[in-house]
Amino acid sequence: MSVEEVTQKFESVSVDNNAPKTVLNDDKSFEVKHPLNTKWTLWYTKPAVDKSESWSDLLRPVTSFNTVEEFWAIVKNIPEPHDLPLKSDYHVFRNDIRPEWEDSANEKGGKWSYHIRSKSSDIDELWLRTLLAVIGETIDEEDSQINGVVLSIRKGTSKFALWTKSEDQTEALTNIGARFKQVLKLGEEDKIEFIPHSSTGKNAQPTLTL
Amino acid sequence: MVKYTAEELLHLKPEETLPVDFDAEEFRAIIENIKQIQALKEEEYAAHGFTNRRRSSHHYHTRPKVKHNKPKVTTDADGWSTLETAKGEEGEAGEESDEEDSAPFVATISTETIRVKPNNKNISSSRPADNRDIILDKQTNTFNAFAALESDEDE
Repeated sequence: MSVEEVTQKFESVSVDNNAPKTVLNDDKSFEVKHPLNTKWTLWYTKPAVDKSESWSDLLRPVTSFNTVEEFWAIVKNIPEPHDLPLKSDYHVFRNDIRPEWEDSANEKGGKWSYHIRSKSSDIDELWLRTLLAVIGETIDEEDSQINGVVLSIRKGTSKFALWTKSEDQTEALTNIGARFKQVLKLGEEDKIEFIPHSSTGKNAQPTLTL
Repeated sequence: MVKYTAEELLHLKPEETLPVDFDAEEFRAIIENIKQIQALKEEEYAAHGFTNRRRSSHHYHTRPKVKHNKPKVTTDADGWSTLETAKGEEGEAGEESDEEDSAPFVATISTETIRVKPNNKNISSSRPADNRDIILDKQTNTFNAFAALESDEDE
């Protein structure tokens, strides 16, 4: 190939300007979005400031997302957990599952939960790690056992809870619990408990402990 | 199943804050408002604590004494009755009571004037119960026939 031929060929090569933009080459006006496995809904429980307010008045869906880019947009627009008032809850649940025991998707399930002293840990980072593991589906590799995740802000403590759709799939639940401990950066001495929704109450006994 | 590791998701995080399909400003305003209400309640609690509540008695062994006993009256063989006053009433005398205890007892006649006001409500007539008022109301310029006859004889 002569120099002239190479020059001609080089001139004919051009970047396709009509190719769709991704978040990697334009993070303001990208067109290609990365889909998530399912749609997720962010719910918020407002603390009661008036005795007349009932649970149904306090729990509200904020928005839904089904792409990675929408997830980040929401995360950047809402207050971080450390900035929430006491008695607030963030819930991120799959599709349109309500974060309530009574929902048909939850009634036969349970939850892995762990209380973290708010001052001793960075709850913002742990909450983000939990969300990434849940929406990225890496906490539940075998099948979609996860229904949602809840963060409850209380005085001196924060409760992380991972809601599952079943309570009797011991092997799958144990694997999820082990990964949940890794996500929360817990050591061997820290124990997380699995309590079925059917026995949730003051005297509820965990069916699994890790 | 579509999966992303945490690293992949973090790699896709845009630098800019992108718009969302809900009113994020209003959401943040609601949360800020709740925090202010909670701070006010906390301040109020710190300032007053439990003092703005009615006194509860759940931690006492007995209930607070609201209904007091009747004053005790004892009558001796001579027919003299003695009234045993409540402890609180004795205490009101204060320091002077000690001096009085040491001094001999002197009976005194009360000089206090008791004024009794008649209550017209309990009288059958609604008119004031004062005779002077009745006299004033009586007609005085009536014709006296006997007095008139006497005056005629004189003439």
